[in-house]
Amino acid sequence: MAIDDLITYFREDIFFEDFIADTKEEALDKLVEKFVDAGIIKNKELVAEMLHRRESIGSTGIGKGIAVPHGRTTAAPVLTIAFAKVNAGLDWDSLDGKPVHLIFVVIAPPFEESNLYLPVLGRLVEFLSKESNRNRLNDVTSFDEFRELLTE
Amino acid sequence: MKNQLDKLVALQDLDLMLQELKEVEALGFDVKSEGSDTLKNARSEMISKIPKPLLGNYERLRKRYKRAIVPIKDDKCLGCFMKLPTYLLTHMQRDEQVITCEGCGRILYWLM
Repeated sequence: MAIDDLITYFREDIFFEDFIADTKEEALDKLVEKFVDAGIIKNKELVAEMLHRRESIGSTGIGKGIAVPHGRTTAAPVLTIAFAKVNAGLDWDSLDGKPVHLIFVVIAPPFEESNLYLPVLGRLVEFLSKESNRNRLNDVTSFDEFRELLTE
Repeated sequence: MKNQLDKLVALQDLDLMLQELKEVEALGFDVKSEGSDTLKNARSEMISKIPKPLLGNYERLRKRYKRAIVPIKDDKCLGCFMKLPTYLLTHMQRDEQVITCEGCGRILYWLM
């Protein structure tokens, strides 16, 4: 699987164009629950603990309205990314202090055949660094539109 | 954590996070200067909850294989790819106990 094929790590059943949460902690817990509902993971507690722990050592809010909570966990079978758009905005202790509107939750197993976790994380950050991509993501209303944007 | 296996898995996840701190920071993510110490403190707290023989086995396996706990896929240990005997799989699902691979000795984790 190529690193450039970012879309291959996303799934429609963990894509949320109008996600609602009151706090960062609640958003993480709710999104981990979605991974469970989608049958991607079984152990909610382990994955949630890993993501909360990651936040405790520095916010994954990278600024410009984006948060990329991430981590490896033995409880994850494959590298998967959930996308959630928070139209109302959410405080994430971001680097620039601004509310987060786009959340990408990246979870990966401790080892993969091609060890793509860090390259994929880097590719995602690079994609999000472009203002035009961020603007278009904010306007996305369906997974098809999302797929189109990521495969251009 | 409901059982010893979950505690060991959480410990392995924590060890992975510690190992990759610098790589993640290099990608532009915020990692506080005290981040490493925070994780080390969490590790100390975690290991205090794990019985010594189990912890000793985990540390020995980690030194030998890098990953002490590996998942089971298609009834195989993903550490050594040995097919696991049925009785072991049944026992593991029933009791959620810490079970090791008879081939390589790694601790086994059932993903789904």
